[in-house]
Amino acid sequence: MAVTAVLRRMTWLDRVIVLILLLATGAAFVLVGKGPRGARVVVEQQGRVVFSAPLAVDRSATLTGPLGETLLAIRDGHVCITSSPCPHKVCIGMGHIARQGELLACVPNELLVLIEGEEKEEPTHDLISR
Amino acid sequence: MTSSAVDPQQLVRVRRRIFLALFTALAVALHTLEFLLPSPAPWFRLGFANILTLTALFLYGGRAAWVVTLARVGIGSLVVGNLFSPGFLLSLCGGVTATAMMTAARSLFGRHIGPVGVSALGAVGHAAGQLLIAWLVLVRHPGLWQLFPFFLLFALGTGIANGVAADLLLDLLRSHAAFQPAADEPK
Repeated sequence: MAVTAVLRRMTWLDRVIVLILLLATGAAFVLVGKGPRGARVVVEQQGRVVFSAPLAVDRSATLTGPLGETLLAIRDGHVCITSSPCPHKVCIGMGHIARQGELLACVPNELLVLIEGEEKEEPTHDLISR
Repeated sequence: MTSSAVDPQQLVRVRRRIFLALFTALAVALHTLEFLLPSPAPWFRLGFANILTLTALFLYGGRAAWVVTLARVGIGSLVVGNLFSPGFLLSLCGGVTATAMMTAARSLFGRHIGPVGVSALGAVGHAAGQLLIAWLVLVRHPGLWQLFPFFLLFALGTGIANGVAADLLLDLLRSHAAFQPAADEPK
């Protein structure tokens, strides 16, 4: 078997090293999977920002789309859609989000809820001109 | 190998030089071949050239490994045509980190560590070094680190594969006539 052939070519230290590196890789997956917490909630409708609020303050908001009013709730640093006029309620089923880059979408009502991080200076030049 | 008229010390030296030149040439060829292969991201490389660095390390020691790596990156980049470009910088820093880790591991653990372990360490070092320089010089975006675990896993796989390849090559070379007087190799 291929695995035993590989194992035969390894000393005990090789195996220990590979095992440690494998564990480190697993740890890296876990650590990176978490990601940084977001700072602001931004709601977009057809590419335009229609609502923006800090994640830290608990509140709820009513957003109006083509189908009607969608209710958005911010609680304990998490955002979720609590009620929506759309037929399948997929957006409510997406649960709550808190991390930077995560999003909730209600396609029928044309709403996109995004989490953004802290404001940062954008690099003014691109990769090639560096 | 009946060259009794030549000073044996000099014979060993010349042989060593010729084999190092061969290793470097092969490493350059593999470096170039790898550049031609399509890859999903610039740093997902198979690292075949590292096989020759490993072989040099195990046959001739750390200095030989450095020679093969640095010459490979320099000449390989000339051949490929990306000398001093971002891609070159990535190769160079990856290569330097990998070789530093491999020579350190070899001198630390000596006979206990085999080509597979050294190669796995080198591949992971290569991955970390490349990503670090990519982050420092090219894309200062935290999203880059999202890539790191995948990169690490990939590097570990190729590292083990390259280590096995290097071990096979070492077996082949050690049974060759030029390596028969085993006394002249630093262990």
